[in-house]
Amino acid sequence: MGTPEEKIAQMGLELPPLQQPVANYVSAVQTGNLLFLSGAGPAVPRGGKILTGKLGRDLSVDEGYEAARSVGLVQIARLKNELGELSRVGRIVKLLAMVNSTPDFTDHPTVINGCSDLLVEVFGDAGRHARSAVGMANLPFGIPVEIEIIVEVVD
Amino acid sequence: MGAIEDRIKSLGYMVPDAATPVANYVTTVHVKSAGLVFTSGHVPRNADGSFWAGKLGVDISVGEAYNAAQNCVLGILGSLKNELGDLDRVTRVVKVLCLVNSAPDFTDHPLVANGASDLLVEIFGDKGKHARSAVGLSSLPGNVCIEVEMVVEVS
Repeated sequence: MGTPEEKIAQMGLELPPLQQPVANYVSAVQTGNLLFLSGAGPAVPRGGKILTGKLGRDLSVDEGYEAARSVGLVQIARLKNELGELSRVGRIVKLLAMVNSTPDFTDHPTVINGCSDLLVEVFGDAGRHARSAVGMANLPFGIPVEIEIIVEVVD
Repeated sequence: MGAIEDRIKSLGYMVPDAATPVANYVTTVHVKSAGLVFTSGHVPRNADGSFWAGKLGVDISVGEAYNAAQNCVLGILGSLKNELGDLDRVTRVVKVLCLVNSAPDFTDHPLVANGASDLLVEIFGDKGKHARSAVGLSSLPGNVCIEVEMVVEVS
């Protein structure tokens, strides 16, 4: 297997442009070998609008899966920015995956598989992570999915 | 059997076998460079293996959910035993995140989360004293009443 960057190119994917936080926090903090990424939403297309919608009401599970996959790409773009080379990802450790959903929605794991599948496709075994998938009453700007990630970094 | 497992047994509890996730994630990630194990969110199960469902403030009592929180912790201990071989290797329970499936006006999340916290201190003593957040989720996978994840320090 080649580098994660090569894998991403083979898959026909492109890392989205980074958006900087507009308040007093940052996208990533490293302490020791652990890198903590802030929660991210789906990529915003250039000149496009933020993807919004609530699972169980506005979006199908398939659409939620694609949104979670898009969040994964945003977080990989952040990792690329922080680490220079994605081969420095020793392990994707932990996801906290938050789904904007109606009170009776129950299919959060299928939605979050969008991100989990991408991480394993790109990083292989190093992409296999622990995770929690939960439903939120609402999320910033009405985005359907927000995911925060802890990553182990190697030199 | 290690001292901690002896203690669990003498308290009348049973550690279940580790569950196997059915998607692209794992129940635990051991970051050896940091001496930490991160667990996935674990959900409570009934004796027949079905999800222990319910929403606080709607159709399940605080007392029942307290027991469900205990059930989650025992599931986590099963996963940790699988990861570490021996629960005596846990040197500190660092952080617990209790995610409670609850109605918008529910406020007793700490009383539910105490089911997890009390059991951890009962089993591990001072090593079981942890930092914790307890929050309300509008929905959870399979409509389980609670989901618990944990970070532990290991030797």
